[in-house]
Amino acid sequence: MVKAFRWWWGILLAFSLVGLSRLFLPLPFINEVIIFSIYTIGCSFLLGRVGFISFGQPAYLAAGAYGTAFYLFYFGTNPFVGLLLGVLSGLVVSGIVGPLFVRLRSDYFALVNLALAVIIYYLMQKVLADFTRGDNGLWFLTNMASTPLLDISRPDQFFIFALLVALGVWAFYKYLDDSIFGACCLATKINEDKLEFLGYSNYSVRLLAFIIANTTTALAGAMYAVYLGFVSPEITSPSRAADPVIVTILGGTGTLYGPLVGAIAYTGMKDVISKLIGNWELFIGFLLVFIMLAGDKGIWGSLQPRLEKLFSRRNAPGAPDDVGATRR
Amino acid sequence: MMDAQLLISGVIFGLSIGSIFFLMAIGLSLCFGLMRIISLDQLLYYSIGAYLTYTLSLVTGSVWLGILGGLVVAGIVAFAVERLIFRRIYDRDLTFSMITSFGILIGGIGVIKFFWGVVPRPVPIPMMTQLDIAGTEVPVYRLIVVAIAALVYAGIWLFLNRTIIGKAIRAGIENVEHVEGLGINVSRLFTITFIIAGSLSGLAGGLHAPLIMVDPSMGLEVLAFVFMVVIIGGLGSIKGTLISAFMVGQVVSLGSLIYAPLAQMAPFAIMLLILLVKPTGLYGSALLKR
Repeated sequence: MVKAFRWWWGILLAFSLVGLSRLFLPLPFINEVIIFSIYTIGCSFLLGRVGFISFGQPAYLAAGAYGTAFYLFYFGTNPFVGLLLGVLSGLVVSGIVGPLFVRLRSDYFALVNLALAVIIYYLMQKVLADFTRGDNGLWFLTNMASTPLLDISRPDQFFIFALLVALGVWAFYKYLDDSIFGACCLATKINEDKLEFLGYSNYSVRLLAFIIANTTTALAGAMYAVYLGFVSPEITSPSRAADPVIVTILGGTGTLYGPLVGAIAYTGMKDVISKLIGNWELFIGFLLVFIMLAGDKGIWGSLQPRLEKLFSRRNAPGAPDDVGATRR
Repeated sequence: MMDAQLLISGVIFGLSIGSIFFLMAIGLSLCFGLMRIISLDQLLYYSIGAYLTYTLSLVTGSVWLGILGGLVVAGIVAFAVERLIFRRIYDRDLTFSMITSFGILIGGIGVIKFFWGVVPRPVPIPMMTQLDIAGTEVPVYRLIVVAIAALVYAGIWLFLNRTIIGKAIRAGIENVEHVEGLGINVSRLFTITFIIAGSLSGLAGGLHAPLIMVDPSMGLEVLAFVFMVVIIGGLGSIKGTLISAFMVGQVVSLGSLIYAPLAQMAPFAIMLLILLVKPTGLYGSALLKR
């Protein structure tokens, strides 16, 4: 029981803080933050744990969003089924491109992935314009039937749902980090020869990680679709390709809470800045360059050691960890 | 069946668009080969070249002067960016250069929007004359673009094979530490390569400007094609870049004659096929570590 609590308390604390912020922050902002953080955690996992620079996340986001949108626009009314289909289509897309992409060297991977995002943008904007209505997008807010228990077609109830989903996603990624698979991912990033020597296949570890991360991204896409009730090709626009990478690095690459912290900081800045000046790209571009030059730890990455030090000192003064820390 | 006139003009169109892709991709390829960076900001120099062509052709009345100005200014901006930013990230991971250069690209697009606004601008075609090839009217300007690309290829080839600096760059693509060990100033070599890459991208933008509308996100529009060219050819290989640029150019042009959406999809499918067979592209070296 105590062990379980110790495992869960960080996640619970983080998300109760997010839940509490509902009292003084506007609802659209928090919803955006939660979805964005789910969007980013896949990218953070790929970049920090497996060593893949994924500039192609919008492609999988679009897969999820359009999976949901097609169902809700053309076929059904139940948003939960829509979400499920969105996640499924993300799984299918990453399952198709995954086996090909993970064989590539990381530089080629980054380029090919970004090319995929651009191609999906064209596909949705022009080639499939008959189905996707091109730049006008698909509107299906009124198509969604209200669901019993938790009516996610309403923003305030969607918030509760999103919070629960995020909680689940974070628990899942924490579990991954602790598991042998998580260790394998880290090993394939750091030393692939050794991993091979230990009897694991680099290819399957990477493929599994790729599919898991991109399915999470598709989940975020599906949630966007249900929350906004609207999907347009803009979701996979190349100029937004860097968004998850920016948030990942802003928050702290590979850390568990980095994506959440990054998403809060990024969405907050975006809101404030876009109110002050219209030229959003100018700001975000130079912010990115600045972050990269300043260091790669990010907000949470540089905060975490301090917090840990603070807590370990308070809980157990002179504990072995603490001595080790001061000696260093 | 396609008639001959359509085919000829399609091939010429493909050659000219391939030339533009080649000029841009060579910068990316050289930068990767020598410095091991992925320099997405080449697409910014392309936009800068195009916008300067627009402004200078408006002011002076000569598009050629504009293209020249675009080339020079793109080179200067590339020099400044290399000195101020890339300097600091050469010895870091590949991830850093890619993300940083993407930041430069996005920020630069913001600057362009600030100066020129978001409205697409037209640039006049400098030579309206048509040439008769086997009964087909072919715009001379497109042929000139192809000729310029051929000249640049010849120039780059001569530069890399006949000058000391060029030979040092080629040696650096093989192994940078050995070049440094010979007492060659590698940092200056990097700057020279980056300026060459930037000005060639600027030239590509200037040459492309009369054929399309100039707008702030034009860099992002060609991004996918330039990537495909670089990937199919193999990062770091000039010959591979040349071959794949003209291949992609023809696929885009002839593909769109058959069925319009093919123009975007077919190169991507070809890229996936080639990667399936050879994960490092046609001429990419497999020696480079992951």
